[in-house]
Amino acid sequence: MAEFITTYGFLIVSMVFAAMLALSLYLPLMTGQLSLASPGFYALGGYIAAVMSTKVFPPTPQGEIFPLVYLLIEMLVAAVASALLAVLIGIPALRLRGIYLALATIAFVEVVRVLSLNLEITGKAIGIFGIPQPFLNKFEYMWIAAPMLILSTWFVYRLERSRVGRAFAALREDELAATAMGVNPTYNKVLSFTMGAVLAGVVGAVSAHFLNTWNARQGTFDAAILYLAFVIIGGSRTYLGPVLGGLLLTALPEVLRALAGVEFLPAFVAQFLVDGRLIIYGLLIALATIFFPQGLITPTMLKRLARRGT
Amino acid sequence: MQTILKIDRLTRAFGGLVAVDQVSFEVQEGEIFGLIGPNGAGKTTLFNLITGLTPPTSGKQFFLGEDLTAARPHIIATKGIARTFQNIRLFGNLSALENVMVAQHVHTRSGVLSGVLGTPTARREQQQSRDYAMELLRLVHLDDRAEAQARNFSYGDQRRLEIARALALRPKLLLLDEPGAGMNSNEKAGLSQFIRDIRAQFNLTVVLIEHHVPLVMGLCDRIAVLNFGQLIALGVPSAVQNDPAVVEAYLGE
Repeated sequence: MAEFITTYGFLIVSMVFAAMLALSLYLPLMTGQLSLASPGFYALGGYIAAVMSTKVFPPTPQGEIFPLVYLLIEMLVAAVASALLAVLIGIPALRLRGIYLALATIAFVEVVRVLSLNLEITGKAIGIFGIPQPFLNKFEYMWIAAPMLILSTWFVYRLERSRVGRAFAALREDELAATAMGVNPTYNKVLSFTMGAVLAGVVGAVSAHFLNTWNARQGTFDAAILYLAFVIIGGSRTYLGPVLGGLLLTALPEVLRALAGVEFLPAFVAQFLVDGRLIIYGLLIALATIFFPQGLITPTMLKRLARRGT
Repeated sequence: MQTILKIDRLTRAFGGLVAVDQVSFEVQEGEIFGLIGPNGAGKTTLFNLITGLTPPTSGKQFFLGEDLTAARPHIIATKGIARTFQNIRLFGNLSALENVMVAQHVHTRSGVLSGVLGTPTARREQQQSRDYAMELLRLVHLDDRAEAQARNFSYGDQRRLEIARALALRPKLLLLDEPGAGMNSNEKAGLSQFIRDIRAQFNLTVVLIEHHVPLVMGLCDRIAVLNFGQLIALGVPSAVQNDPAVVEAYLGE
């Protein structure tokens, strides 16, 4: 068990973060808004934690761990900052629809990246390193990551069954009809966008500690596409889809590596399984959209399971 | 009787095409008001103007004395104007029950936190909302299929579900865009009675677009006739029926 944790601790925590980042993209999607802004807020949250822990809080004495309270304060600041920025960006950006909104949010991610490459406070191209550790090893990050995932999954699950969630779904189904039934489109879209941003920002804050360093390579356009893949493959119509998509697809490279280690496998196949994981990723997205257009987990499937259960 | 809706020289141009041209009329409270005219006369555009989905080029609109010209659609809905659509616009992937519950949005309060936490108030509200939605589904005889997805309903059932959804908004003014489309004459007779019933039960004023002349003549208190965006006749059915301008619009000279 101890060996398993040292080997896979980092991966397991990464899987949990990925599931939450997929949820952060799913939240605006609940109102039908394809936003790829999550990595921007993730980067912002990370920089907030990195700057606060290395420059604002008193340095942690040698041999002691970084106080957990500080981490919680950083998460709170990241949440508030992300929310404010999301409202500021959301109100103009959410006037755009479909692919145009996606483009605008990619532009936002790029702006964050270029800013962090050039600002003094974000450490320019080098970034911020030596971010203090609140835990003894990587796996112990589960103490904070697991409750966060459970809480955010439960939150979205409950949200889907509430009055606001129904208004979101109506907007996603038919915006015009929803407004004619009294649903305020701007308010609800900005609300869902902001909730996604807050989640991404908070995950970023914890990630900065987890990764030890934070720089402009965190939260880029590639990451946005990756989160989108989690949602598309996992399922974009129920809260469980993104969670499962994030968990499974993050584990995939390790699974492929394990497969490559199987005996009697021709060397070139083993090589492909390890080096070609981006190709396999792309292939999976293409196949999933053809054979599982609604993703692996669909609301109909959940209903059927629930019926069998009772 | 009180004027519920007043339209004053309402105009909407799409480029060079004037879809609604200086149309003025008043609808009285409790009336069933028919809107007829040949295809492309501007009837649906007029509905879109009244519900704010299309902003007017010029002209004004008053609802219960309040100026609602160019108000945003969800505000207009909140004031008490509900509608159905000519080409049905239900929330296809939601259940029939959820479709009707969405329309109670403005009459319920619970926000993100109270909804997620399931506070007693939010839970009570949810239950009331569900009960009322079921009641409306019973009214349109769809209560036995409340949990089915709306997109799996037949055309006629979808039309009835749309009316139930519009009623859930608790409107004072209900706009029905071709409620009888695709129905046979038997069903249309039933529809007439149904519209009278809901008017009485919910204290409604109804404005409806309909092509089927016998239905309109038998049901409406007054009728407005549009042709090429202009109001060419307005009055009680018998007067409109014999109006030379109306006969010409429909049959040509």
